[in-house]
Amino acid sequence: MKTTALFITTALISSTAYSASSSWQDIETKAKGQDVYFHAWGGSQEINAYLKWTGKELKSRYGINFNHVKVTDISKTTSLLLAEKTADKNSGGSVDMVWINGENFKSMKNSDLLYGPFTQSLPSWEFVDKSLPIDFDFSEPTDGLEAPWGVGQLVFIHDSTTLNNPPASFAELLSYSKAFPNRVSYPKPPSFHGTSFLKALLIELTNGDKSLSQPVNEADFTIVTQPLWQYLDEFHKTAWREGKQFPAGSSETMQLLDDRQLDLAITFNPNAVFSAQANGTLAETTKTYALDAGALSNIHFLAIPWNATAKEGALIAINFLLSPEAQSRKGDLKVWGDPSVLSNQYLTGSAKNTKLFKSIDEPHPSWQTALEAEWLKRYGNQ
Amino acid sequence: MLRLLYSFVILICIAPIIPGVLGVVLSALSYIPSLGLSEVTLKGFADVFAWSGVTRSLYLTVFTSLTSSYLACFITFAVLQTTWNTRAWKWVTSSLAPLLAVPHIAFAIGFAFLFSPTGIAARILSPILGNSDFSYLVNDQNGIGLALALALKELPFLLLMSIPITQQLKLEESYKVATSLGYSQAQFWWKCVLPQWLTKIRFSLLAIIAYSASVVDMSLILGPTNPPTFAVLVWQWFSEPDLTLFPRAAAGAVILFIVCTVLILLTKWLEHLIVRKRRTWQISGRAGFQLRGMTLFLVVALINILILPITLLWSVAQRWRFPDLLPSQFSHRFWQQEWDSVIATINTSLFIALVSASLALVFALIAHEYKKRYRLRIPNLIIATPMLVPQLSLLFGLQVSTLYINVSMPLFWVVWSHIFFAFPYVYLALDGPWRSYNDGYSQTALSLGKTPWQVWFKVKMPILFPAISFAWAVGAGVSLAQYLPTLMLGSGRVITITTEAVALSSGSDRRVMAIYALWQAILPLLFFTFAFVLNRLQRKGLTPIRKRIFNEPLSKKPHHL
Repeated sequence: MKTTALFITTALISSTAYSASSSWQDIETKAKGQDVYFHAWGGSQEINAYLKWTGKELKSRYGINFNHVKVTDISKTTSLLLAEKTADKNSGGSVDMVWINGENFKSMKNSDLLYGPFTQSLPSWEFVDKSLPIDFDFSEPTDGLEAPWGVGQLVFIHDSTTLNNPPASFAELLSYSKAFPNRVSYPKPPSFHGTSFLKALLIELTNGDKSLSQPVNEADFTIVTQPLWQYLDEFHKTAWREGKQFPAGSSETMQLLDDRQLDLAITFNPNAVFSAQANGTLAETTKTYALDAGALSNIHFLAIPWNATAKEGALIAINFLLSPEAQSRKGDLKVWGDPSVLSNQYLTGSAKNTKLFKSIDEPHPSWQTALEAEWLKRYGNQ
Repeated sequence: MLRLLYSFVILICIAPIIPGVLGVVLSALSYIPSLGLSEVTLKGFADVFAWSGVTRSLYLTVFTSLTSSYLACFITFAVLQTTWNTRAWKWVTSSLAPLLAVPHIAFAIGFAFLFSPTGIAARILSPILGNSDFSYLVNDQNGIGLALALALKELPFLLLMSIPITQQLKLEESYKVATSLGYSQAQFWWKCVLPQWLTKIRFSLLAIIAYSASVVDMSLILGPTNPPTFAVLVWQWFSEPDLTLFPRAAAGAVILFIVCTVLILLTKWLEHLIVRKRRTWQISGRAGFQLRGMTLFLVVALINILILPITLLWSVAQRWRFPDLLPSQFSHRFWQQEWDSVIATINTSLFIALVSASLALVFALIAHEYKKRYRLRIPNLIIATPMLVPQLSLLFGLQVSTLYINVSMPLFWVVWSHIFFAFPYVYLALDGPWRSYNDGYSQTALSLGKTPWQVWFKVKMPILFPAISFAWAVGAGVSLAQYLPTLMLGSGRVITITTEAVALSSGSDRRVMAIYALWQAILPLLFFTFAFVLNRLQRKGLTPIRKRIFNEPLSKKPHHL
């Protein structure tokens, strides 16, 4: 392992030197004709369609073959990269670009699976809104190893014809569930949305306990999460399917909302309803809202694995995705509606008018793994 | 020459079983030097059993596998009992090919459209029962839906495999004897045919038991989620980012293999019990009721038939809210939006299927020719190993091995793995016809002065052409259905219609899911149609010898399509 680490360090040093010396022009030339394999969550039709558009643009502008590898959970890509690392496959890797944040970023960073730092060298970097917390990802320093792509806020969707006055806090959610059994649920952890739900819930129940921003330790965990499990034990009794089954992810909660099985759906995109309405997956009367306390917020990022085959192609692709044009389209309410990471002055169309909800910071990423493990232990086998 | 070719076939299609097994067993024993794990321990196994839902998960696997296989077996027997020697039997046999051609995944997606809590069945029932929750056939916690769907899918396979058996068993003669001894037709089937049929159908039954115990793709779509069946659980463990947990996943794969072996032994024991040990029921008592096989078969056929229009309807539904019986708005925008990527995945799938089916066919032909000539050869059981061992267990070891060959050629590995898994099916599809081929024809041709190559191409191949073309289509069908090998050895880079259909099936857009499911069903059909047309063209000059063999090849179609 030591030798691998050494090799990576030298590789990192040499690659940094390389990016400084070669101009952006050289990168564009090298990128031409490259196949870029972008591993990204493929569970949303809107996002997939947007990435399809990206692929077309990259092909016609830069001659890059951009492939969206749809993964159900990006942690699978992390394990793939780790496997390549253990097999000493330090070049010619099978992943060129990843869409990550939080725990996955931390584990990739800690295992030296990332190429960079590269963000400062991107021409589009100047458009990025530096007032956003882009230097930290769930309190882990990004160190230029990943470029911000969009802003996520954990919000709920309700249909105003069936539920006009949705619960404004998790406490109200519990009373709602008791009054109307079998109507609310949350995505099954350890899915991204499911774990985020747990974190938001934990923050409300503990009034944002200070230890949440620190790396988790066992003693804290037991005390701090005590109310969470109490809440869930209670909640599951009247939750959808008695808390014995959970939706697989955000899209499924939206599907179930439209199927009139659930009264609330969960999404990380505050504008999700607009594109879903345009696509015919949600009724015109659906709205997103955040709880009174605010919405759990984070930034999602793009990164390049250390052994990527098409590093230049990936750099061009990331640079393009950060361009005002691509970001405006991404923020277009009818396309995806994902809030942009660029300063507002560079945006056009409906992306310009996106308003964010009051934000709540993510806990330290180590809490994520601990929460997932404990959740699975308690409710994973009912 | 033939020896050399045969060794090559062994190297590609059989020898990889060894690194496959070694890789998974060593990883399960925590021996992975590259990970810094060089001490042999049983920690992986301990970790498996420390996972809190593991017993239930194992139970679900055993339950779905046994229920589905024996249900399929029972219905098959019922259909045979009711329809044999009637006009309905002809009708049943001719409907088998289209039923079999529907791939498992397309079937599962259609099944979900029908029976999910907001599927068509629930929509029809909702005015009667109100807006209550009729779930319980899709992702239900007891795996009943999965077991049912598997049974429905295995039934046509078992029926198909029963065709040659009914021919071999000389039923007409036995029936005459039985009736002259005073048995009714129902009793004749229970007491005379069942014990013989059960023995002959054994291999097919074992294959579906092993398949249903280790299936991942169908279980992902229809199976329980909390916890999932054991194969899915192992698959999830395999995808964990924490590499120190890798031995747990490998141990899981080994346990999955053990579970399959136990199930296979159990099945053999049950057969022994029914046929030999507890055979009083065969010789005494009046029991011998008539089963309603035709009704059962019609229900199965109806479900299969319904799946197509519903999937098609979903693919063009802009807005189709529960509990509407029909979409309120239609649109072809999803076809338009997806067309580019659909075409791209179709191209990849067709390319892989063509190459792997053709190569698997050549390899199988070599193996059969070798078998005719030399004594020393690989027994059929070893060739069939990839059909009986859980794919996940083998692939585990294979992936570890391919990683060490430090070349990034995902497409190459995927094509190879498809050959590897298609080979046994193609080989077995040719087994019957090769056996029944009368070598006298070849010998006569040889004695008339033709070279061995000429004899093969001018005499043997034309006679066995239906079997060959059919085996080729079978190989393509197997290749098109592969999910795990494509995903694991392709490092996610090789995207086929099947991997895409499964990826899209988890709570994603139903319209897009429907489009991929439709194409997943269409592609294998193309190969079978092509084989069929080729046959028709060639059949024009049909000789009397050929007619006799013609029905044979159909009997070896795999269940796996």
